[in-house]
Amino acid sequence: MNRLPSRALFKSFAVLTVVVLGTLAPTSCCGNEPTEAETDSTVSFVNDVVPILSRHGCNAGSCHGAARGKDGFALSLFGYDPAGDHQTLVREIPGRRIDLAMPGESLLLAKATGSVPHTGGKLFEKDSDAYQKLLHWIEQTAKFDGETAPQLVQVSMTPKEVVLEGHQAKQPAKVLAIYEDGAERDVTNLAAFSSSNSNVASISNDGRIVADRPGEAFVMARFGAHTVGCNVIVHSKDDGFEWPTGIEEANYIDVAILEKLRKLHIVPAPVCSDADFIRRVSIDLTGRLPSRTELASFVVDEDIEKRAKLIDRLLSTDDFERLWAMKWMDLLKVRSINPVSDKSIWKFSQWLKQNIHDGVPIKQWLTEMLTASGGEFENPPATFFQDLPDQKKVAEDVAQVFLGMRIQCAQCHNHPFDRWTMDDYYGFVAFFDMVRRKRGTDPRERIIFSVKGKTLHPVTKEVVKPRFLGGENADATSADPRIALASWMTSDDNPYFAPNLANRIWEQFFGIGIVNEVDDVRVSNPPVNQVLLDQLAERLIATEFDFKALARDICNSHAYQRGTMSGWNSVEAEKNFGAAKLRRIRAEVLLDIISQVTETTDDFAGLPAGASATEIPDGKTTNHFLNTFGKSTRQSVCACEVNTQPNLSQALHLINGDTVHNKIGRGKVIQKMVKSKTPNPEIIENIFLRCLARSPTERELDQLMSELKSGGKRNQVLQDIFWAVLNSREFVFNH
Amino acid sequence: MTCSDHILSRRNLLTVGAVGGLGLSLTDFFRIQAAQAAQPIDSKQNHFQNSEGTAKSVIFIFLPGGMAQQESFDPKPNAPIEYRGPLDSIATSLTGVRFSSQFKKTAQIADKLTIIRSLTHGEAAHERGVHNMFTGYRPSPALRYPSMGSVVSQEFGPRNHLPPYVLVPNVPNEFAGPGYLSSAHAGFSLGSDPAKKDYRVRDLSLPKNVDMQRFGKRRKLLDIVNEHFRQREQSDAIDAMDSFYGKAFSLISSKEAREAFDISKEDDKLRTRYGRNEYGARMLVARRLVEAGVRFVSLTCGGWDHHANIETAMKNNVPQFDQGFSALIDDLSERGLLDSTLVCVTSEFGRSPKINAQAGRDHWPKVFSNLLAGGGVRRGHVFGSSNATASEPDEDPLSVEDWATTIYHCLGINAKKELMAPGGRPIEIVEGGNVRSDLLA
Repeated sequence: MNRLPSRALFKSFAVLTVVVLGTLAPTSCCGNEPTEAETDSTVSFVNDVVPILSRHGCNAGSCHGAARGKDGFALSLFGYDPAGDHQTLVREIPGRRIDLAMPGESLLLAKATGSVPHTGGKLFEKDSDAYQKLLHWIEQTAKFDGETAPQLVQVSMTPKEVVLEGHQAKQPAKVLAIYEDGAERDVTNLAAFSSSNSNVASISNDGRIVADRPGEAFVMARFGAHTVGCNVIVHSKDDGFEWPTGIEEANYIDVAILEKLRKLHIVPAPVCSDADFIRRVSIDLTGRLPSRTELASFVVDEDIEKRAKLIDRLLSTDDFERLWAMKWMDLLKVRSINPVSDKSIWKFSQWLKQNIHDGVPIKQWLTEMLTASGGEFENPPATFFQDLPDQKKVAEDVAQVFLGMRIQCAQCHNHPFDRWTMDDYYGFVAFFDMVRRKRGTDPRERIIFSVKGKTLHPVTKEVVKPRFLGGENADATSADPRIALASWMTSDDNPYFAPNLANRIWEQFFGIGIVNEVDDVRVSNPPVNQVLLDQLAERLIATEFDFKALARDICNSHAYQRGTMSGWNSVEAEKNFGAAKLRRIRAEVLLDIISQVTETTDDFAGLPAGASATEIPDGKTTNHFLNTFGKSTRQSVCACEVNTQPNLSQALHLINGDTVHNKIGRGKVIQKMVKSKTPNPEIIENIFLRCLARSPTERELDQLMSELKSGGKRNQVLQDIFWAVLNSREFVFNH
Repeated sequence: MTCSDHILSRRNLLTVGAVGGLGLSLTDFFRIQAAQAAQPIDSKQNHFQNSEGTAKSVIFIFLPGGMAQQESFDPKPNAPIEYRGPLDSIATSLTGVRFSSQFKKTAQIADKLTIIRSLTHGEAAHERGVHNMFTGYRPSPALRYPSMGSVVSQEFGPRNHLPPYVLVPNVPNEFAGPGYLSSAHAGFSLGSDPAKKDYRVRDLSLPKNVDMQRFGKRRKLLDIVNEHFRQREQSDAIDAMDSFYGKAFSLISSKEAREAFDISKEDDKLRTRYGRNEYGARMLVARRLVEAGVRFVSLTCGGWDHHANIETAMKNNVPQFDQGFSALIDDLSERGLLDSTLVCVTSEFGRSPKINAQAGRDHWPKVFSNLLAGGGVRRGHVFGSSNATASEPDEDPLSVEDWATTIYHCLGINAKKELMAPGGRPIEIVEGGNVRSDLLA
């Protein structure tokens, strides 16, 4: 009965946004009043001792949690194996680490208090809680209570969100653990705290959040296998911020974004010009630049609906489908590599393209793919299982691509900054554990089939049942557990599937995800705008995963159409979609538009002449340009495979390489204009319009004209102007 | 803690970057420096200041496939024939130390080398073994580790306008990359084989009909075109691109830098001494590059996966290696560069103790041999030994971690230093390695 008030208090706290002005002492609500669990004098190994080891970093990866331990003493990383830790502490070298006869003389205590040399130094004082707890546990004969101790089921942190004003403004936080027997316990003094951005806000050992500079941070508490957090926004004190009037909302996307910007005290950048817009949206939706006529007629069009109409037109092109097919081919590692044959890859890519062309909802083709059996030629999606016999890899890929989660860490240890444990990991792998692959009669083909068997946990050696991530066990009666997996994955109730897809679609248009990186969804990497992500996911579900509809909403939002921003808060503004972020155009699209503006074509192995780089089906097909500019190698499902970071080879290639220089010569764009007696200013204007979707400024025209006059052959200097435009930052960025 | 000042200065730099003012102090290789600064440093991270090492540069010669220890630097002349293998052994310039008979010239310079006979790891698949030797780590499903060359690029940056990490002739495998570090630390590949007649470093020289004058004009035009955008937009991404253009222009314009790649500038006799083949030419270009200031040259030669007919295979491969490598060591020594250049020869693993049914040997990571020379390692020293059948380490087993840590030590890098991987996960440059002082001079 006495637990009721505290639960009510916790609830009211959770929804509260606290604004603290200036410096405040911790309020009494977060003092450590003893709860029921604490007044109980029995010290639990699982619920007291291991958390103490975690909080003081004893079982961290850099200390005894390392795979081989440290200085001859090895604990499980972050305490994922309490039974093993108990064994190590008490029984590995009897009487050494724990001295039952003279508890106070135990090496564990001597090391931790620094009374004997310890590489990790002194961790706590003799009069500390931690010391007293450990001492009592040893006095109580250092028992292991893994079987009897109540299991931790949930951890929460309050507040969940806080706005602090001014340097050094403080806010106490409280961490609450809830056990299977319903007991609640304040574990603020047992949790391990950290901050995602200590330049903005830090959190002290006793759970006090302290503001530093304006911005946003996520402070976290780790207890047991749970990580929980609190979002912190810091303003400078008396920044005199006022939300300007007249900022409009085009749709629900803007409502969510402006709400957040208002909280952050950031005024969004104004909407960009028509010319900027048509270049940006053409690159994003079709991978092409607008033609000069498209550009001219769009800019003069007085229809107030013209942007929406342009978006609709671009969305209905084949080019749009081609870009999305490429994205999926990147994510599904569509490349021929031994033993996956070119023919299997060709069929798999055609299958993907056809699904996208026919508007087959992702739920349907994903289910078909996850449950695929049979030969790769007859049933192309079976090629997805290319990593077999490595079932772990298959499971990891499925989690990363479709749920946005990297569960790899949990293969070897419980995830330190997320909720995934080894049990979760092997439970998920179990869905694929009975899938096998064998050679077909045609040596180029592989056949996927299922066998009967059991998955064993590598540590406990117990049978692992297929289990949904963060959910319950799959129905064991189903013949192939993959069927149950597919229906769980694509269910509207799946908390990860729709948000992950929405986030990936979003990232395509902003160069940065709402959760960023898009495939690193974890508790400690929260979305910058939860409301926005939720709404996009709901919209996907409502439209039966019509990604075109979502792309339409996004492109029509003011958020997508904003200009760029400079100044101290531009990074924060871009992160929250209050300003456009400059994005280097990805390799395939960049090559295609260089070919487009130079009126040349490329040859790729196995494709008809004139094929575009974005339609290459096999990830192995490439050329020097594409490699240098970071085309996805499709070796992994990581979104980071598509690399747009600059490097020296890119600069050298655009300057000296055969792409720009030769294409200018081959396409004869300049020669044709010179031949048709086009005057120089018009040729220059033509180059600018076709590449940059704008006319040269007066100053640019003057300077370029005087360069033309100052020597060199006319033809050559004009070609060099073309070369310069193709080498310019303005050309290679989408802005 | 002396490192705290350093942390602060990096933090400050980071802050400056955040307000967009970093573009003001652009220098040629700003981008790499920025990437270094952008490595966030957490107070909990192990941090060590790099010092000046004995090795100013590294030539990393990788022999892909897994060279047999028995047919190279750890022959077992007294073992039964099925272990001994088909090749004889020869004496070297070190008393009592024998090499396999094909390494005639290397045997004569053994007094300049440290011969490691007890390297050991547990990865018998090529890609996993290669991962070990390029990164110092076992492969992980969760993380891509940076190659040693990329770490050196990250820690020291460029010298004399040259890229810090160069790959000869091309990216040899996926583990030679920057891993979780910025892609600015990817190695620069020649993109062309120096052994070929038409060898030309890719994109380094101007196109045929562009001379220096026209190139000057192009740069002027580019400045005009870039001006408008630069005034309109401020972004780290643009600054980064600018800096690489700056570096590219100075590389193209600097005769010294360009000539570092050009082996035709070498004396004909010397080229012949190295051997006019892929081994000789690649090693010669590596020497030119480190001489000019490149910090880490990674080169691959030949194929050493001799599952069958190991005798013929070794007789075909070794003499070219032998000639090139001995010429490289002598040449470095004559130029006074050997003491400051660490030359490292290794495969991903060794080969099985017994000759198999195809007269070859199979993969064997349990014990194998490799070489170190110069750059602060001992001269004329044999480190460790394998047992009588070259199947297990006998004395002083050397782990990949210790080996890599010792190489980093020679470069002045404490491999216990932690670099920041995605997700704010601090990762040691090498995990759990120790400097093996017996390897050091």
